Amino acid sequence: MGDIITLPVVPLPLPKDWKQKPSQGKSISSFVKRKVIPVGPAYLAHVRRVVHDLSFEEHDKHIEEEQKRRRDLEQEADEEDDLGVGDEEETEDLLSLDPKEWKKQDNYAVLGLSHLRYRATPEQIKIAHRKKVLKHHPDKKAGTVGDSNDDAFFKCIQKANDVLTHPEKRRQFDSVDPYYDLLEADVPTAQQVTKAKNPNSVFFRLFAPVFEREARFSRKEPVPLLGEYADPKEKVEASMTSGTISTVGAVSNTLIKNRDDKRYTEKKNKAERARRKKEDTARLRNIVDVALSVDPRIKRIKQEEKEAREAKRKNKPGAGVKEEADKVAKAEAKKAKAAAANAAKKARRVARAETGGTAETS
Amino acid sequence: MSLNGQIPNGSAQAPIELTSSQTVIGINFGNSFASIAVLTKEGLAECIANEDGERQIACAISFHGEETYIGNEAKQQLIKNSANTIIGFRNLLGKRFSELPKDRPTSSAPVIQHPDSPDTPAYRVKVLQPAPSPLSPAASALTTKTNTPAASQVATPRSEPIPAERVLTPADVTTLFLRSLLQSAEAFLGKKVDGAVLTVPGWFVPAQLDALQEAAEAAGIRVLQLLEDPGAAAFCAASNTANVTGNSAIGPDRTQLVVDLGASSLALSLLAVRQGLFHHLTPPSHHTELGGDTIDDRLLKFFAKDFTKKTSVPLKVAPATEVLDLRAEARLRLALLHTKRTIAASVGGVGGSAATCAVESLKDGLDYTGTINRLRFDMEAAPIYSGVAARAGELLQRAGLDWIHVDEVIYTGGSACLPGLDAALAVHLREDAFTPFLTGTVSGGGVGDPTTILARGAALQARILAEISGADEQVRQGFGRGSELVDVKATARTIGVLFPEAATREGTEGLHGQWIGGIQTETPVPARRTYILEVDLGEGAEVGERHVGLEVWEVKEGIKIEKVKLPKEDEDDAQDEDEEEEEEEIEVKEKVIKKESYLGALSLVAKEGRKEGNRWRTSIEIRFLIDSNGKLESIFLIV
Repeated sequence: MGDIITLPVVPLPLPKDWKQKPSQGKSISSFVKRKVIPVGPAYLAHVRRVVHDLSFEEHDKHIEEEQKRRRDLEQEADEEDDLGVGDEEETEDLLSLDPKEWKKQDNYAVLGLSHLRYRATPEQIKIAHRKKVLKHHPDKKAGTVGDSNDDAFFKCIQKANDVLTHPEKRRQFDSVDPYYDLLEADVPTAQQVTKAKNPNSVFFRLFAPVFEREARFSRKEPVPLLGEYADPKEKVEASMTSGTISTVGAVSNTLIKNRDDKRYTEKKNKAERARRKKEDTARLRNIVDVALSVDPRIKRIKQEEKEAREAKRKNKPGAGVKEEADKVAKAEAKKAKAAAANAAKKARRVARAETGGTAETS
Repeated sequence: MSLNGQIPNGSAQAPIELTSSQTVIGINFGNSFASIAVLTKEGLAECIANEDGERQIACAISFHGEETYIGNEAKQQLIKNSANTIIGFRNLLGKRFSELPKDRPTSSAPVIQHPDSPDTPAYRVKVLQPAPSPLSPAASALTTKTNTPAASQVATPRSEPIPAERVLTPADVTTLFLRSLLQSAEAFLGKKVDGAVLTVPGWFVPAQLDALQEAAEAAGIRVLQLLEDPGAAAFCAASNTANVTGNSAIGPDRTQLVVDLGASSLALSLLAVRQGLFHHLTPPSHHTELGGDTIDDRLLKFFAKDFTKKTSVPLKVAPATEVLDLRAEARLRLALLHTKRTIAASVGGVGGSAATCAVESLKDGLDYTGTINRLRFDMEAAPIYSGVAARAGELLQRAGLDWIHVDEVIYTGGSACLPGLDAALAVHLREDAFTPFLTGTVSGGGVGDPTTILARGAALQARILAEISGADEQVRQGFGRGSELVDVKATARTIGVLFPEAATREGTEGLHGQWIGGIQTETPVPARRTYILEVDLGEGAEVGERHVGLEVWEVKEGIKIEKVKLPKEDEDDAQDEDEEEEEEEIEVKEKVIKKESYLGALSLVAKEGRKEGNRWRTSIEIRFLIDSNGKLESIFLIV
């Protein structure tokens, strides 16, 4: 390789009578001795070639590898720098957002964090905000063609930053995050799992993201997630029963001056929140029910328990039928008791969640 | 309800790793001024200002009472405290006292024989030592029976500082000065500096280099390399042309004239630049009789005369004899710095904006304000400019070259900023030769800025050295002093190919064809060059008829001098025709190529081709490879 020099000259065609003369065996004049100045990358290349006894081609290869290594390093360094915020593409729709409609905007998309969403750390939000401000500050646009006073998107950025840097406001926004609204509408059904060729893997593939995403509002930390097929019984139960609670955004009433009006909106808000809360709980309950009904682990556990029982029974053929019946009855009673306790617990939790959620947003 | 500690928000963590890159700087340590360059985030070198906001840091140290002044504020001390102010110490590094010229008039602390070590130059300065603590620890340790400090028997020490004398060798002074440069750089970067490349003049002998290295290491600088000035300048300029213009008209093989016009001396080097490798075509020359100070002397006389005219106070400067005159000269010299910078920054061209020179209380309490315009300034400095041109001519002659062989001029040093110098050299240069003034990279801290180019070149070199991986100790040694790897063999003649042509075109007389210079003379071997060019194949319809033929030759380059009569310009000279009756004759020089030895020939059939108009064309790639034994390999490919 090396540097290729493109020459601008165009030689004319060969004369008709030109013939290839044979070489007279002459060689080039003898060299002169010089001292180069030890400076620059070309000298470094020269030293490398001499020290490691490389030809031009071998050295080229070496340089290429070096460059690749350096590029990779730089890329890593870049990623370190911004904590993985990266650069998201800004669509035409996003840039033409109206700051007056800020309540409807997707704050994460505005700050270029739509790949992180609720997982974004405060540091990442800070970095993302700085990046966007550097790019969209009205001062940067001064002197460019067109309307230089157009700072609509900058206002959107500031609003998004206001919301996301305030913990409570951010949580409220997360609860009505438009991105998840779309996803929540698309919950896997029982048929999708049962009719699939490989129900086990399909179950985990479909439900894992659902559980993960609904876990974002749990006040119980860490939230047990869906887990894996081989998980023991206790773990499965834990993941199925952990309550997920979501907060529903409130309509701001801080701007209303009249006390009666305020009270009225408050009441309306409360009712609205309660309704949406209920809806959300129902939705969650539904998801959990579906998941429970098709969870291959439950099937497996049941199967195992059954086998264990069978085995026990077979192992003790001498035991009386009565004894066995007693045992079964006992086990059933126990199970019923546990189920009742469980149900009561669940009910309590749901109730508590409801009150908790309401209290939180009121 | 508390939200703290419960929000799942913020669970995404990015891995944080620290890069282990070294912080390196470049230092240009001149005899009169120094500069520091650091590497920016973008990978470019940038000259930084010290704490006083000066990019050109005067190499001066002054002691006044308990204070030590370093840099430009020390220069101010030359007026009233000249006996304790040290300047021009770099050139004394590594020298013996007996080697130094004694008859030079000095405006600063005189150089004396060191009282203790034999044959060593030194400076003696008066300082005030800080007052000792009132009670010595031994005295205060005594206590009375009641466990209270006993009355000291010692006489109470003086509370004011004690006058003392300090004897400093040039190496001590250099260490002090370099340490302040290092501090400035570390203050700017906010981290410790791991290493630095220092520039040194090409004429420094090993003893001087040793002394400088020792002094720098005593100042806490890890010296990566002592790089000679022309190398730093050429490398900086080369890296810039590569960055800015890419594959531009200025090829990778060129002849470069490096003009270093500093305050105290002129250094000229003629370099062959061969694809990033630089070597001297002839030993560089060094002239102490020319420099910024000589320009200053002439300007001093000019302004002194003007002062006398305006105030009728006699003022005799350069050389001054009386104390008052000496002081006035020092004041005026400091003010001239500003005047020269104004002239250098003026864009008006000849006769453009004027520069002022203002000194308060120059002599006898009288203020002085005078102006000088570019034309007048260039008139005053003309002897220096022409002196530079004459010495550059001598250098070229020694190398067996002519001005027309110079493809590029690089200026370094403060006085080379003066546009008049470039104008004086441009008269001799080829029209298409590059100078930083022509490309407009001098003003506004551009890439060709003569005052910062050395420091930036050194910083870029420091980065290269820092990036050599630790295991490659042998490679690193290649950059060390006295490395055998700098010894190379270079070609004595230009080798290239000739495309024979039937018709003789302009510029190809005597060759019978189009000449393509492949490997230039003075190219270090092993060398490799690749060219791509288009070849006209004529109107031949058949594929078999489309031949490309070429001959490889070694050639001798010479100069053809022709006397050409200037064509009369009727429109312009209509009025003053009567003045210029006789026709002017000027010499026109031209590079010519003479075929020396025939190395071989080749004929190819161009199977691939494009039709442009009614003619066929094809692209051909020519690759030359010369190994260190003198084996030439040329490869031709139709692409």
